[in-house]
Amino acid sequence: MIWTCDVMVIGGGPAGLAASISADKEGARVVLVEREARLGGILKQCIHDGFGLVRYEEKLSGPEYVERFTDEFRSRGIEAKLLTFVTSVERIKEGFKVTLVSRDGVEVYEAKSLVLATGCRERTSKQVFIHGTRPSGIFTAGTAQHYTNLLGQLPTKRCVILGSGDIGLIMARRLTLEGAEVIGVYEIKNTPSGLTRNIHQCLNDFNIPLHLSHTVTRVFGMDRLEAVEVAEVDEHLKPIPGTEKKIECDALILSVGLIPENELAETLEVRIDNRTKGPICDSNLMTNIPGIFACGNALHVNDLVDYVSESGEIAGKNAAHFKRAENKSVIEIVPSETLLYVVPQTLNLNGYINDFVMYFRSNRIYENCVFRLKIDGRTVFEKRYPIVRPPEMERVVINLKGINLRATTVVRAEIVRDEE
Amino acid sequence: MAGIRRIQRRLNKKFDGRVQAVLEDDIIRLTGELDNWDDVVAACETAATKNSLVHVVNDIKFTGGEIPPMRVPSLRDNAVDGKTPDVLIIGGGITGCAIARELSKWEMNVMLIEKNADFAMGASGANDGEVHVGIDLKKGSLKQKYVLLGNAMYDKFCSDLDVPFRRPGQYILFTQFWLLIPILFFYIRRKYIDGVRSSRFMWGSKIKKEQPTFDKRIKFGIYNDNAGVVCSYGLTIACAENAAENGVEAYLNTAVLSMDTNDSGNIVAVHTNRGTIKPTIVINAAGVFADDVAEMAHDRFYSIHPRRGTNAIQDTKSANIIDCIASVEYASVGSLKSKTKGGGIMRTVDDNVLVGPDAVECFDKEDTSTYPESLKTTYTKQKGTVPAASERDIITYFTGIRAATFEEDFVLEWGRKCPNMFHCGGIQSPGLTAAPAIAADVEKIIVDRLSKKREILQKKKWTPVRRGVPRLKEMIPARRSAMIARNPDYGIIVCRCEEISKGEIIDCLERPLCPPTVDAVKKRIRPGMGRCQGGFCQPLVAQIIAEHENIDISEVKKSSAESVILYGENKGGAEE
Repeated sequence: MIWTCDVMVIGGGPAGLAASISADKEGARVVLVEREARLGGILKQCIHDGFGLVRYEEKLSGPEYVERFTDEFRSRGIEAKLLTFVTSVERIKEGFKVTLVSRDGVEVYEAKSLVLATGCRERTSKQVFIHGTRPSGIFTAGTAQHYTNLLGQLPTKRCVILGSGDIGLIMARRLTLEGAEVIGVYEIKNTPSGLTRNIHQCLNDFNIPLHLSHTVTRVFGMDRLEAVEVAEVDEHLKPIPGTEKKIECDALILSVGLIPENELAETLEVRIDNRTKGPICDSNLMTNIPGIFACGNALHVNDLVDYVSESGEIAGKNAAHFKRAENKSVIEIVPSETLLYVVPQTLNLNGYINDFVMYFRSNRIYENCVFRLKIDGRTVFEKRYPIVRPPEMERVVINLKGINLRATTVVRAEIVRDEE
Repeated sequence: MAGIRRIQRRLNKKFDGRVQAVLEDDIIRLTGELDNWDDVVAACETAATKNSLVHVVNDIKFTGGEIPPMRVPSLRDNAVDGKTPDVLIIGGGITGCAIARELSKWEMNVMLIEKNADFAMGASGANDGEVHVGIDLKKGSLKQKYVLLGNAMYDKFCSDLDVPFRRPGQYILFTQFWLLIPILFFYIRRKYIDGVRSSRFMWGSKIKKEQPTFDKRIKFGIYNDNAGVVCSYGLTIACAENAAENGVEAYLNTAVLSMDTNDSGNIVAVHTNRGTIKPTIVINAAGVFADDVAEMAHDRFYSIHPRRGTNAIQDTKSANIIDCIASVEYASVGSLKSKTKGGGIMRTVDDNVLVGPDAVECFDKEDTSTYPESLKTTYTKQKGTVPAASERDIITYFTGIRAATFEEDFVLEWGRKCPNMFHCGGIQSPGLTAAPAIAADVEKIIVDRLSKKREILQKKKWTPVRRGVPRLKEMIPARRSAMIARNPDYGIIVCRCEEISKGEIIDCLERPLCPPTVDAVKKRIRPGMGRCQGGFCQPLVAQIIAEHENIDISEVKKSSAESVILYGENKGGAEE
């Protein structure tokens, strides 16, 4: 038996929920696949507040934020397949053949379009080349958060946190509130990786020291972690010999980066952007493979869930309207060296592009600068910023109405010093 | 063998009278004092003759660091107290477990003890999993004999035990054209004299056609199509399970602390942290501690010098860079031995890419920590084999410790002063390959010895066949659906990287001898082995273990009793 649907959304976190709802609103028959038992993705364990400031102008907790989506999802009667895992996707003439495994066995679905909302995973200690023994007590921040918030268990009594990414900062506060001692947060870069508001609310308010230009070089302990070695790093981020210090602790919590999950996409020959580690998409958030859309943290790592939901809505809506016959030629948007990345990375040549959302991050801190989109040398969009920082993603809405894009058109995105 | 006086002269030259050599009872005992471990090793190597049965025993006092005592589990009980097995095997690595499995076919009491929290916790759990062809070994050594025999046994060994095994072939590659003549001689010798019959000489052009990802500078090489890959800890555990299914009693967390011997040198009592065992025969398969165990029986006639090797594992995503085993070898004029310095690169049986191992002498037999230099050495070398090898694709790395003797050969013989101890010492690479052949020979030797006292019959109900946990990922959809219909837990994927279901984890916990720990499950069926390294599944696996064992989740350990994961409920407690 082969089941069919118009849009299959893979992933039931905030991006997948938003994509499902928006595709449903457009009249598509949507099936959402989620490998866990409950919808909500990582927000289920994000019990801190601060979600929804942009979207709802309210401070919600993760579960509260996602509840608004699950409520709407359910009231629309959208089909969700929970505890269901996608084992493979094949491209077929009509779209995609998706094989699922669940308690019901192996099932095959044919979908006209796919939305990848698979989120991201955390970089591990070995992926940042920490050496030493292999004891228990080394956790990624997300795993520590799972234990603390979902299972009500304390993973540490006295820990060091490596990396000042947002989850690391949130966990510094969370573990402190649970009675653990957070000795310090160590960040290899000379600027924090997380949002400024989290530095204040999670570290400063709890007197947790932040050590910039420091990293963990070794771990000790045969059974449970007993100590870590930290060292100062030079401008090339290499540990400076002689600056090593051994710190006794029972856990090392890592917040050293997130990697979009695109293993499924790669099996379908979806092109991946080296900068975002997510698929290269056009302004409809469609990848190079017609009918495959990407959103949320699978597309690029976001710092606010509000934008995750937004990208889900864009991808879901366009997936619902996807027609196989259309010409899908695109041109690349070339980012300047001052940009870490832009999303989307391409523009569709088929017809005019009305309002579209562009996300970008600068490669470092720039003050008094301007972000521009130039088409064949002509500025079609610009916005001024008093300051841009890599940890803080920026979002702009650009309208290209009336501009004819051709295959030879040069589109350039840049951040430059504001000369005015 | 060099005369003892010559050895002393050479030692004097290098170490200025600080090391003395004496020949006693067919061993060369070195004494003295050195503050550098590499010097200790160099002194012993100076005195040693490769593959000789006259072993170097290292009694040099090392003053440059503290050699820690063997780690002993904290557990104290009487689980094994008063047991009187016919055969006591010390050590749950591949050698000990393979022997236990072979002996399990006979009507005798066999007991295996392992001091760690699981099997395969030493070198058997941290090597590259290569099933060697013996291309680097000269005829005449035990290693060479058993590697040839063992390699030929692997297909049946693994299919009986339901352990994945492949023979993807091995290339030894050369970029230096001037090596052609010596390598041709080497090749002919190995193929026709040493008996590595599958060897084929290959020109670079053919190699490039077969293996387009290899470095373009390769001029020629030797190819062996019966080199294989296996999961060494999976195989060790499979042997232990099969042995247990056939009646072998195995105890983990059980360390030998001392032994009592009688006037004729025989072991009469083996004291452990879990009571005293009185065995008829003891098999010493204690890996890096084989010489320490020998010492307990006053029978230390060889010394183990631990040699660290670190391997890196790359994401399965990078598997397309290699589908076999390969390594490029360089030589400077006059020295053709660069083997094992930078290891090799291979596709593992689980479709990861493995790079390594290196080889570093170390004095701590249990220091399996990793160092950045290891990855640098191996990657520098192996990028010369496959340029697409990349540290950026690494998902994990680990260190194993080889149990090398100074003669660099296996020690397989009855004790010289302790007649009821059989030594399986110095089993290092290619010990994994050799294991089935060693086990078969040891079986004969032990049965012969016991037959002198009483008639030893084969068990009527013995099976060499073991069926492991079903691997649903590999099943065709109809079969997978049928399995899920029988047990819906097979449909709940817990480890997304390796696609392991809850049903498989529960099956694993119900296998014989599976400790209820996160690492034990990981080693048996792979949840946590993938690119997220358990980031997503560790809490889920811990929960499944807790439910299955009916214990609190904070009681679930990573591996040993001390490897606590959680400290119990936090202030809020668990939500119900």
